[in-house]
Amino acid sequence: MKVNVNRRAFLAGSTAMAVVALAPAGPALAATGALSVWKFGGTPAEVEAWPAANERFLAENAGVELNYSFFNGQIRRQKLLAGFQTNKLADVIIAFGQDIPEFAGFGMIQPLDDIAGDQIAGWKERMVPEVLNAGMHEGKLYGLPTYVDMSAFIAIDSDAMAEAGFDRPPATWSELRAYAKAMTKPDRPGIAFPATTAPVDINIFEGIAYANGGRIFDEATGQVRLNDAGVVDALQLYADLIADGSTPSGNSMTETNFRDTAQLFGQKRAAMWIGLSWLNTPWGVQEGMNWQGAPFPKPDAPSGAYPPVAAIMDGTAVLMVSSRTQNPEAALAYIDFWSQDAQLNIWGGNPEIARVPAGKAAWKEAGLAKAWPAWVASYEAGTLFDGAEPMPRFIGVSAVESALATAIQQVVLGQKTPQEALDEANAAAQAQIDLLRG
Amino acid sequence: MNRRSDIWLAYFMILPVVAAVLAFVIGPTWDVITLSLTQFVMGQARGFGTLVNFKALLADPVFPVVLKNTAIWILGGTVACVLTGLCVGLFLAIDSKLTGALRALILLPWVLPDVVTAMAWKWMLHGQVGIIGDSFSRMGVTDGPISFLGNPDMVMWILVLILVWRKMPLVALILCAAIRAVPAEQIEASRMDGANAFHRLRYVILPNIAFSLTAVTVISMIWITAEFTLPWVTTGGGPANASQIMATYIYQQSFQFFNWGVGSAMSVVNLVFLMLVVGLYLYINRRSWAAGGNA
Repeated sequence: MKVNVNRRAFLAGSTAMAVVALAPAGPALAATGALSVWKFGGTPAEVEAWPAANERFLAENAGVELNYSFFNGQIRRQKLLAGFQTNKLADVIIAFGQDIPEFAGFGMIQPLDDIAGDQIAGWKERMVPEVLNAGMHEGKLYGLPTYVDMSAFIAIDSDAMAEAGFDRPPATWSELRAYAKAMTKPDRPGIAFPATTAPVDINIFEGIAYANGGRIFDEATGQVRLNDAGVVDALQLYADLIADGSTPSGNSMTETNFRDTAQLFGQKRAAMWIGLSWLNTPWGVQEGMNWQGAPFPKPDAPSGAYPPVAAIMDGTAVLMVSSRTQNPEAALAYIDFWSQDAQLNIWGGNPEIARVPAGKAAWKEAGLAKAWPAWVASYEAGTLFDGAEPMPRFIGVSAVESALATAIQQVVLGQKTPQEALDEANAAAQAQIDLLRG
Repeated sequence: MNRRSDIWLAYFMILPVVAAVLAFVIGPTWDVITLSLTQFVMGQARGFGTLVNFKALLADPVFPVVLKNTAIWILGGTVACVLTGLCVGLFLAIDSKLTGALRALILLPWVLPDVVTAMAWKWMLHGQVGIIGDSFSRMGVTDGPISFLGNPDMVMWILVLILVWRKMPLVALILCAAIRAVPAEQIEASRMDGANAFHRLRYVILPNIAFSLTAVTVISMIWITAEFTLPWVTTGGGPANASQIMATYIYQQSFQFFNWGVGSAMSVVNLVFLMLVVGLYLYINRRSWAAGGNA
């Protein structure tokens, strides 16, 4: 059979076929228009690195007018609430994973599943599943985490440890008490822990309590669980360390937050300190000081009613899309940009190495393996996130954590026993939860 | 112009102020009152005309502590500010080169931003690295460094001291100006009549500055009630709520817990408390106010 096809018809037909064939695989329409981004909190290196990455975003998205603002992490609720009430919320909010349930419950943010379409497949491909899950709430993805912090960890002055006759970090609570006592000198306590009302200080304690099988809230029953054995015994550990004479005075720890405690450790004013996974990396230590980080020792016999966790984790730079955004295309383009390997590679080579990376490719970086070999080995063995759970997140979490902070301070000050303080905190927090949830 | 057009002009001239007061004072106050009578569930308004927020406030074990701390903060702070301001004002009213220079220098604490003041004091008073506790320890006054802000029995009074350091200079300068305006012949006459320094202060100077003293007391009380940054940055309400005052607890309830109804209920209690105290003070001092106003 002979088919008569002239040149013009052939060109028109083949072009049409090419367009049809290539259309789904081609790049999405470039985002345009105004895009406002509010970022809350971050370490000094992160605060510097983020605007530099924004420049790369603008180079790739020339049609977007990016209005980026950075704010202190502690004012994020106030700022976002004001923005929400006055219809001036940014298109993209970069806040903490712990905020997601409340922001979602109040209608401030929208599920990415509903607007991101097939972009989510790319995110899943590039990101560590456990970290991406930290952006989930009630089965939907509300935020894209760029890293997570884990709790609880311990920083140890290696020279002080060797001087006390130990050759490895403590592995259990009873060992920790023995180490802390042995490493205490008249002018240098063996261990310090932050006990202010700062959220990070509370997260540090929660990491210890959750590893003991404690939980602060049971979502299934709507009950606050602060006075369960898992939490009470974890607080007893704080009380024991103080009673052993291994810490600074309780009074001074209630005015010394995580950052200050890290700096005291870095100045050799404490031989160990309890913190999140980043420990001293954002602030450094004295020149020549040998120190190491290790997971916080485990309880000798977990006493809580829930399964003990290996660690709890949360992202503090989770990208969310406002429910009031007028430019979802640009907002998604920005989030997709941050899901790329180049951005997830721990701030473009800046040694912000104590953030637990969210990108799979970041785990192959030589710098990370050199700084945290145990993490990388554990990740490659598939055990790093085994038994790790998100940090507490539910509507009313701030009220419960505030009551917990008060209980911690009462115990650290010697005003009450852990059981008494947590019984009172439980009742106060439950009242707040009931009011908030109706 | 006739009288009627004068009246309309007067109304027209005060219109911007009336509009500003309505927009920025009456409006928000009304809003807070209605919020306090509204129950919020999951951030959504669910029914107006309820006392649930006030009931929650009364059942809150922290609230009595907040009331006690607020009383120390407002009443203690005002009394301390005005008394030290009066003493310093009396000293500054003396004519000399030293007091001339001090009148300018004393304003330094006043011009520093609140956050800078709070952070500076926080570190100077810190239990482990604070210069004040360390100095006491080195001088042998104490056995070891003192954690001023970590001691629940001490923290409110330390905050009041910081407050006095910050607010007193302006009080002192206002009172200094009032003292220097007291007619010299009255002081001279009392001296010739045999009045000693205390008598001159009690029977000549104080009656003459009563108007300024009343005004500065009321203004100080309002300033201190509205002060949030200083206590929040210095202690965050801790330790264990020992320095939690109305301003910080309202902030915490509203912006940390998203409990807007309870936050508004506390604001209403705060407003009523302030109106009562100021009203009582003005009532007691109405004679001196009138005398000063006529002077």
